[in-house]
Amino acid sequence: MSLEVSDLDVHYGRTRALRRVSLSVAPGQTLGVIGETGSGKSTLARAVVGLVRPSAGRITVDGEEVTRYRARQWRALRRRGVVQYVFQDPLRSLDPDVTVEDSIVEPLLIQGRPRREAADRARRLAARVHLDEELLSRLPGELSGGQRQRVTVARALVTDPRVVILDEPVSALDAANRVRALELLKQLRDAGTALVFISHDLGSVAGVADRIAVLYQGGIVEEGPARTVVNAPRHPYARLLVGSAPTLRSAAADRAQREELRELLQNIGGPA
Amino acid sequence: MALLSLRDVRIHDGVGGRDLVHGVSFELSPGKVVGIVGESGSGKTLTCRAVLGILPEHFRVSGGGIELDGRDVATLTRKEWTALRGGTVGAVFQDPASYLNPSLRVGPQIAEVVRVKKGLGRRDARRRAVELLGAVRLRDPERVYQRYPHELSGGMLQRVLIAAAIAADPRVLIADEATTALDVTVQAEILDLLADLRERTGLALVVVSHDLAVVAQLCDEVLVLRAGETVEQGPVERILYEPRHEYTRLLIDQHERYGLDRFRELDHVA
Amino acid sequence: MIRRVLRLTTGRIAFGILAAIAFLAAFGPLLAPYDPLEGTTDILANPSGAHPLGTDYLGRDVLSRLLDGSRVSVLGAVQVALLALVVGVVPGILSVYFGRAFEWVTLRLADTLIALPFLVFAVAVTALLGNGIPQAMFVVGVMVSPLFYRVARAATLSVARSQYVEAAIVAGASVGWVVRRHVWVKVLPPIAVALANTTGVGFVVVSSLTFLGIGVQPPAPTWGGVLAADLGYLSFQPWAPLVPTALIMATVWACNLLADAIRDVTGEAGRALLNTRKLDPGKVTNGSPVAP
Ligand SMILES: Nc1ncnc2c1ncn2[C@@H]1O[C@H](COP(=O)(O)OP(=O)(O)OP(=O)(O)O)[C@@H](O)[C@H]1O
Ligand SMILES: Nc1ncnc2c1ncn2[C@@H]1O[C@H](COP(=O)(O)OP(=O)(O)OP(=O)(O)O)[C@@H](O)[C@H]1O
Ligand SMILES: [Mg+2]
Ligand SMILES: [Mg+2]
Repeated sequence: MSLEVSDLDVHYGRTRALRRVSLSVAPGQTLGVIGETGSGKSTLARAVVGLVRPSAGRITVDGEEVTRYRARQWRALRRRGVVQYVFQDPLRSLDPDVTVEDSIVEPLLIQGRPRREAADRARRLAARVHLDEELLSRLPGELSGGQRQRVTVARALVTDPRVVILDEPVSALDAANRVRALELLKQLRDAGTALVFISHDLGSVAGVADRIAVLYQGGIVEEGPARTVVNAPRHPYARLLVGSAPTLRSAAADRAQREELRELLQNIGGPA
Repeated sequence: MALLSLRDVRIHDGVGGRDLVHGVSFELSPGKVVGIVGESGSGKTLTCRAVLGILPEHFRVSGGGIELDGRDVATLTRKEWTALRGGTVGAVFQDPASYLNPSLRVGPQIAEVVRVKKGLGRRDARRRAVELLGAVRLRDPERVYQRYPHELSGGMLQRVLIAAAIAADPRVLIADEATTALDVTVQAEILDLLADLRERTGLALVVVSHDLAVVAQLCDEVLVLRAGETVEQGPVERILYEPRHEYTRLLIDQHERYGLDRFRELDHVA
Repeated sequence: MIRRVLRLTTGRIAFGILAAIAFLAAFGPLLAPYDPLEGTTDILANPSGAHPLGTDYLGRDVLSRLLDGSRVSVLGAVQVALLALVVGVVPGILSVYFGRAFEWVTLRLADTLIALPFLVFAVAVTALLGNGIPQAMFVVGVMVSPLFYRVARAATLSVARSQYVEAAIVAGASVGWVVRRHVWVKVLPPIAVALANTTGVGFVVVSSLTFLGIGVQPPAPTWGGVLAADLGYLSFQPWAPLVPTALIMATVWACNLLADAIRDVTGEAGRALLNTRKLDPGKVTNGSPVAP
């Protein structure tokens, strides 16, 4: 397994952001994570890359059990570039004073690779995410939202990672660029990379992921093959989620239907 | 009468020495919704910023005109702008975090808007802010009021921004990717909220979105932008269901490739 | 960085003045027409051909004293700045990264230093380390370092929580890397401003120490010392403080200009400013998926 999480709990102060979350992703597999806003999707991602400390549970990344890793061990693991994380908010995760090119190559420079080689790779990656080469010398504030998002994806891929966690990597892209980005993810997957794909766009997740996990109030309420989850969701929240998604051809479930599902949810309460 | 009208607006980049937006026009009357869709980097955000008079440095409106509530915005003084923003026109932008002060709690930031724009006292402003946080469907608004921006999830931040934008009861709301960080259930509720406001108060909306389904559901008129050009413009049914321009067709086609519809169909076939 | 600063008019002016002052510091003592310590009977003389800036209360040539004192004064100011950097800025940045214990200790130290009476400290240091300019500068440097500690710490704190630093950390960056690549640029401008202000204070404080017999031995000249002496004879020579004041002010002003210039050219703000100077006519940005 490239990534294995079992019984993970994360607390922020006294609030419990994740409760007993378990999941695993094999090489060449993609796990889609969907769920309510504020349900802990980003928290899950941050725990896997060591930005928040779990209060219980185990995390294994690329065969290493990292749960009790100290700062130095984390650094060694991260420097190898095996695990990367695409942050949800592109603007905040790029240093406003560092050019796009320098941001993309930063992981390589940290590894101590020569600048020339790194710059070369930056250009190749920019092409892969369809980012104009001219934009490389700009600062993040001088790009459009979608351009910035592609920069953060390029940065995550620059070290050829084996595990990539993508937190809303296509939300700011137009349909054409989104399809390209998703195709790129599929290529990565076919080359054996393990992906965790967090998104609110059910269509994208359904199209790329093998399995989907639905997060609700910090717990996984449903997990299964992508198709089953999208076409025949069982848990009320999953049903509400899928039902609320508007598509071009059919309007989303109307208000009355949604209210009904909400009420059902209230009665069940959160996950155990 | 039109609340907002753009007439052949061009936006010029003084550093690159070129026009980034060449000719965008539309009219928005009360209760109406205009959608802008198009390629990433095509100038959608710049157009919105031009309407609010907050273009980045070295950018300027180099042609055409923007009229807000019957006034040419080019003639507005700084003071008049301040009065107009929030009150007449509100906005929710992409990258919500960058519009909040990271070292202040989010609630007081909204209360401040209410206090300044609506002239409410501190107590009332606070109450109204909490009310607004509830209106954007944040669970436990009292607690969210006390949080710092970095303690909120992406979707919560975006809703805080929506709350701030409608705090001063604007007549035009510009929503630049305002629902992209929300899950579809919350998105549906925010869209309902906007529809309510539209019906109740005659709020007019400019909606920028990559999600054609949202545009289809919400908008009356759509502009399709590409590389700063309007390639197609018209009523939403016509544009999305009988597109004429090749790029619009491509956009819809690509949208469907990863649409839920297709996915459901596949299942029926299988 | 220096090249960018030099592209600004303010930066060029600042550098010009500072270069002139550096020149004074290097060659001033050699240029002095008289022995700066040698008194004459011609006391409190007005400017004349022989003494362009007149003489002081012991009949010493003021021009010579200013020229001779420039090296000591400037070196002193530089020393204060360096000390403030080492004792204030470095711990200020590291207090954010080196764990709770280090943070606690440095914070308490900074508080203590602020509370410490200046003169007591000065006297104690001279008693311990002997009397001399380095010691006096040491006193001043240590006394101002809490300010630098605070400024550096505040700036670092605001950067440390940001997501781009987290992104660097996820890429395997060490503390050193984060500080060099992300923190430093944001800490530099406020530090530069504080440093510029401190320089001026440094000149004046050194002279007040001189009065107490700490630091510079009374006959040896400094700018601050000359100014202080002049102030004592204001009724005889009301114009006399003008020249040393002008020298000190010019230095402080140049430092401030430089600090402003540094702030203007670093980071995002700097980019916007400098961009006005490079207009390169249009290449089109957007890759397009299909022909229009
Ligand atoms: N640093 C923090 N301090 C305190 N609470 C936090 C912090 N970060 C997140 N939280 C809380 O943890 C919960 C989960 O947040 P998280 O960011 O993981 O949600 P998410 O599923 O990614 O949501 P979204 O889809 O909106 O991005 C939220 O209630 C949020 O308020
Ligand atoms: N401050 C700036 N300096 C230089 N160029 C800029 C700046 N802001 C935007 N641009 C450029 O202007 C063009 C239009 O940007 P804009 O943000 O309006 O795009 P957009 O249509 O909103 O795209 P997206 O859907 O990706 O957000 C882009 O090519 C972008 O690179
Ligand atoms: Mg999130
Ligand atoms: Mg945009």
